[in-house]
Amino acid sequence: MELAEVEAVVVERVEFPLQPDLGKCYSRAYLNGIICKLNKLLTKTSISIAKNRFGLCQNFAMKRVEVKKINLREVVKILGNGGLIIYPTETLYGIGADATNEMAIQKLTEYKNRPFGKPYSIAVADQKMAEGYVYLNEAAKNLYKKFLPGPLTVISKGKQKTAKGIESEDGTLGVRIPDYKLVIDIVKEFGKPITATSANASYKKRPYKVSDILENISDKQKNLIDLIIDAGELPPNDPSTVVDTTMDDPVTLRQGQIKFNEKNEILSKSEEATQNLAKELWQKYEIHKGKRAIVFALQGEMGSGKTIFTKGLGRAMEITELVTSPTFAIENEYLIPNTKHFLYHFDAWRIENSNELRSLGFDNLIKNKSIVSIEWAERVAEIIREFDDEAIIIWVNLKYGKNENERLISWGVEQ
Amino acid sequence: MKILAIDTSCDETAAAVTEGTKVLSNIIWSQAAAHAKFGGVMPSLAQRMHEERIDWVIERAIKSSKRATGSAIKMQSLDAIAVTIGPGLSIALGVGIDRAKRLAKKYNKPLIPINHVEAHILSPLANSNDEMQFPAYGLCVSGGNTIFVLIEKEGYKILAETQDDALGEALDKGARMLGLGYPGGAVLEKMAKLGNPKRFTLPIPLVGQEKRQIFSYSGLKTSFYRLIQSSPPKTKQDTYDLAAAYQDIAFKHIERVLEYSMTNNKLKIDSKADYVNLLVGGGVAANIELRKRLRKLSKKHGVRVSVPYSEKLYGDNAAMIGVCAGFKIIAGEVKPSDLFDYDKIDRNPRLKINQ
Repeated sequence: MELAEVEAVVVERVEFPLQPDLGKCYSRAYLNGIICKLNKLLTKTSISIAKNRFGLCQNFAMKRVEVKKINLREVVKILGNGGLIIYPTETLYGIGADATNEMAIQKLTEYKNRPFGKPYSIAVADQKMAEGYVYLNEAAKNLYKKFLPGPLTVISKGKQKTAKGIESEDGTLGVRIPDYKLVIDIVKEFGKPITATSANASYKKRPYKVSDILENISDKQKNLIDLIIDAGELPPNDPSTVVDTTMDDPVTLRQGQIKFNEKNEILSKSEEATQNLAKELWQKYEIHKGKRAIVFALQGEMGSGKTIFTKGLGRAMEITELVTSPTFAIENEYLIPNTKHFLYHFDAWRIENSNELRSLGFDNLIKNKSIVSIEWAERVAEIIREFDDEAIIIWVNLKYGKNENERLISWGVEQ
Repeated sequence: MKILAIDTSCDETAAAVTEGTKVLSNIIWSQAAAHAKFGGVMPSLAQRMHEERIDWVIERAIKSSKRATGSAIKMQSLDAIAVTIGPGLSIALGVGIDRAKRLAKKYNKPLIPINHVEAHILSPLANSNDEMQFPAYGLCVSGGNTIFVLIEKEGYKILAETQDDALGEALDKGARMLGLGYPGGAVLEKMAKLGNPKRFTLPIPLVGQEKRQIFSYSGLKTSFYRLIQSSPPKTKQDTYDLAAAYQDIAFKHIERVLEYSMTNNKLKIDSKADYVNLLVGGGVAANIELRKRLRKLSKKHGVRVSVPYSEKLYGDNAAMIGVCAGFKIIAGEVKPSDLFDYDKIDRNPRLKINQ
């Protein structure tokens, strides 16, 4: 056994008896996670960092504080110790961790329940602070001037000054200056950027109030939170718009409150990003569930990502069944777990006229306020439009972009 | 034990009479021509056509079986009725099930519900003298399904299944992109034969990720779209070469996933036979190039490929439904005497093989 390995075991023995005393601070699972990682890392430094962390974190327990009673110094102390804080913004509740502390980012990734390597945006206090972490080109500077602080995330080339896991694999970094005084104050007091990701776990409900978060996460996840700053229910604003300025022309990667075009349009660079857009659109229209039928009318050529998009819808609805192409069976149904609702997935390629769609029970689906995704919707656009009054119809256009995996995806409630 | 089998899972209205795993008759009435002008199967048209033709097809199946046995077979002298309950086109499945129930009630016969994909996988057993050896590999490659399974005495274990398109569907869509009509998998095969698969390069789906044991054709469709955009076919030879490249890569993906599985799951058979079987069924199994490649790959791993004895058993047919029912009875998996509760039997468009 190597020395470091021995020490790792010692850490485990020493720290575990402490566990009951930690209270709500860190769950056993998180402790285990650290130990496992330690065993893999096998370096003395990381062990001492961990010892340090365990020692320090005993001072804190998951706390929920009203926004007016907040003590900035306490918040900063938690951040400094690698803790996670949930905070309100002008868009959604976000979750913040020290963007320069790798352990904190690992903890955040565990909380978000997403694979390591998916980048995080950061919140800074002002442009000057941003420039410590990213290179701002002309396009970016213009956007800062015009829109920040505000609901816009600007992606620039990173300076690799943040912790591993913050910048994307291509070395880009999304920066946000929230239009929310408290957040600016926290970041200023902290003197370093904090993560600016939504406080929900991946593919869970958009958090507009604290219960949206707590009701949709496990106890294990709850135990990872050190502080919740509760500002009550936030207005139902869209998340921030994400713009990538690292290419020749700025490109919208996520369409939020700020719009640069007449239409809603984003550039998806991967199947994952297409699924993510589907998730966001579902979260936007989910409030109509059970009140009106929700129809995603997907239009786009072969291979443009219609089934991928529907996979994303399924994922956002927590459907675990494999969502596959409906081309052969024309219609597939997936039960949405813990509800009586189904996701109906159609391929309209072979459907020629309104009687065809009716014979598949489309009228009833609308009447029953169902959730429907139709591929090749352009072929049956007229029939779908007949239900304009009864259903929320979201027209989604998927087009091939310039490069292999790029897709330009636009959408709207009018075709 | 003589069985009347019925399958109306998509656009073929099919009935057959079987005895054990022997096929006595196999009647298929295809709607393909009727649907061709619409570029695919139209659901309500399919339903109507199944309804119009099913009695005629059943009658023909019974009549032809007389010829095979030399003696008169009547509905009364049959021992059971087997019917496809899924997966398939919902409203089409309904037609076959309704008719099967009606006949079962009228003649007081047991009704055996059959999984269409399982029947495709077991279709090589039809008229075969070989005994089934467990465990065996099973592969169904059709327009609606692509699944690779381990067949054990106790049931099926899914080794790999498609995440998006079935192989047949992917080939049909490739043909559609080349403007060859839909479904065009068979046309694509013919053209691929005349083409050079090496002239154009396409990436093999999920290369290096065979360990994940999944099939996926979404990426290949994208690459093929890009390829056609950048080198649109100007001559017939261009089309042949594109078709050849696409089919080649679509098959290579299947080969690589199977190869990984065969390398890593060394199957031990418990009997005197010194080989493991790979049973292959489904419409795409009729593709000679695919069969050739599966044989070559299997040989390397001491696996023997079995395919159906007749072309009529590759595409959708009812003989395989009867053979599957016969196999289950012989294996003791189903007892016909338990199968008189007709109301319990219902269609399941997304029926899983291990369900």
